[in-house]
Amino acid sequence: MIRIEELAKSFVAPGGGPLSGLTLKGRPPRVVQAVRDVNLHAPDGHITGLLGPNGAGKTTSLRMLAGLIAPDAGRIHVDGIDVRTQPRAALARMGVLSDARGLYPRLTARENIVYYGRLQGMERDAAHARAEALAQMFEMGPLLERRTDGFSQGERMKTALARALVHDPANIVLDEPTNGLDVLATRALRDSLRWLRTPEGGAKCIVFSTHIMQEVERLCDSVVVVAHGRTVAAGTVDELLAQTREQDFEEAFVKLAFVDELALAE
Amino acid sequence: MSRLQTLLTILRKELRDALRDRRTLLTVLASSVLMGPLVLLAISALVASLESSAELREVVVADLDRAPTLQNFFERQTYTVKAAPADYEALLRKATLSDAVVVVPKDFEEALVRGDAPIVEIVSDSANQRSQASAGRVAALLAGFSRERATLTLALRGVSPDAVEPVRVEERDLASTQTRATQITGMLPFFVLMAVLTGALNAALDTTAGERERGSLEPLLMNPAEPWILVLGKWGAVASVGMLIAVLACFSFLPGQWLLRSDRLAAMFQYGVREALLFLVVLLPFAAAASALLMAVAIRCKTFKEAQASTTVVMLAASLLPLINVFSLGEESPWYLWVPALAQNVLMTHVLKGEDFSAAQWLVPLFVCAVLSAGGVWFVARTLRSAAAR
Repeated sequence: MIRIEELAKSFVAPGGGPLSGLTLKGRPPRVVQAVRDVNLHAPDGHITGLLGPNGAGKTTSLRMLAGLIAPDAGRIHVDGIDVRTQPRAALARMGVLSDARGLYPRLTARENIVYYGRLQGMERDAAHARAEALAQMFEMGPLLERRTDGFSQGERMKTALARALVHDPANIVLDEPTNGLDVLATRALRDSLRWLRTPEGGAKCIVFSTHIMQEVERLCDSVVVVAHGRTVAAGTVDELLAQTREQDFEEAFVKLAFVDELALAE
Repeated sequence: MSRLQTLLTILRKELRDALRDRRTLLTVLASSVLMGPLVLLAISALVASLESSAELREVVVADLDRAPTLQNFFERQTYTVKAAPADYEALLRKATLSDAVVVVPKDFEEALVRGDAPIVEIVSDSANQRSQASAGRVAALLAGFSRERATLTLALRGVSPDAVEPVRVEERDLASTQTRATQITGMLPFFVLMAVLTGALNAALDTTAGERERGSLEPLLMNPAEPWILVLGKWGAVASVGMLIAVLACFSFLPGQWLLRSDRLAAMFQYGVREALLFLVVLLPFAAAASALLMAVAIRCKTFKEAQASTTVVMLAASLLPLINVFSLGEESPWYLWVPALAQNVLMTHVLKGEDFSAAQWLVPLFVCAVLSAGGVWFVARTLRSAAAR
């Protein structure tokens, strides 16, 4: 279970800085408010979609969830563990597929997966067994002993996902996982996530960020719409349709996410 | 899993990764480890050719027929007298001719008899090093001729030869054979230092800037391992690669020594297992410090290429600092030992001279290396998160 409340984060844009006032070319520091007020509640056995346009603050929010950057304000709890005070305990309960998902090209897929298993504190045998089980689940058995150097996008994605799930975490966080995947690979991923949601699959808590409406409609049990660093709506797809009085989810999303832009246009 | 196990996991992975980069590894091995022995070989070839020309006992004279007395003297000194080629000046300039040429004036014999002190020229080219060496020998030979003439003249007049030589001069050289050899082998420590640096460079960049460029740093930090454990593991792997190169470079001089063509140089350049081990005692801390420093510079860079440009400064400093020792003609200053790269060069030069260095002399650079390593690791650990998020 993941709970994010009133999360906020601002950055000082590059170019500005403490010394910029002293130099001739320096611009004054520009503060970018990436995340203003993001709220999210993702229960177990449930796929929660984090839907928002590019630059809405999805990736920044998920990076804060993973403890990579410290939030300016707000609370993040993973299974009741505060990410701010106990980041490592929280990370042990999370499998994160981040925006950056680079593999080690000189290592085989198996070595990539087992390395993360060991970093998560697994024994060697357990990590190897888990790598094989995941390879079966993602249908990447033949890839396991190959170096990841020549992998296709889909193969990389599968390896990165297996790497993130190696310690069988109760919470799975995926940042735009379908980016660069073809139809078949996307379908396979969807099937895997659906299975992970079921009690047999472990009733995982899955948070899934995307900017693609169809993904959300097909997969997610509930949606959190983020725009301009704020959570602007939350609920099931049907609830959001009812809230906006629209038939089409895309229209509903545009209404919810681009309120300011629509107001300006009128 | 304990911190130590995590650290070892990271260390093993990074080592495996570095050792699988065969092409880079081979380039480093070929360029840095073979460099020393090759230089040694080139020096020995030069020394051997100088020695062989000295052993030949030849003297080249232009217009020899003008000076039978001189020829007689040369031959009595068991020198072979050779006639100079007609275009000897051009040949000397082109360095085709490696012997200085003695030029005898027209009325040499008559002037000699009259006591007019004829002028004999020794022609050489100072840009032609071998002719310079030969000029020195020929000058000494001609001085011997003058002395003999003077002694004979005085003896005929019943004067003791001591009258013209009231003071006898004898030279005594305090340098040991090994000290003299360092004039030639003085650049070897420099090559070893560069080998260690280039060995560590690639691994240092790959574990920091390379990790950022691949986009693998962010997922790595989403594991529950503490950043400083991650960095310690990475640093351990980079330092191990640097140390491996150091070991290979130090021991590569042992077989390199067998290739020495000059017996005299081989006798002067005493480099055995003891010297190799002393080199390592100096170099291993340096490899650790250099690794940490390179990683600290590289972690600020987003790409491998950018990091290569930034680390050039470190490489340049490490190659220029030892020159202070090479070019300083006077005494070593105590502050040399506080400067990384320079200190290692000083200590290794001591080893080559056959002098031991004291524990105190070794502890100063060790302390500097420890501070550099700790500082580098601390900086990388501190920067890691912000580097991944950018």
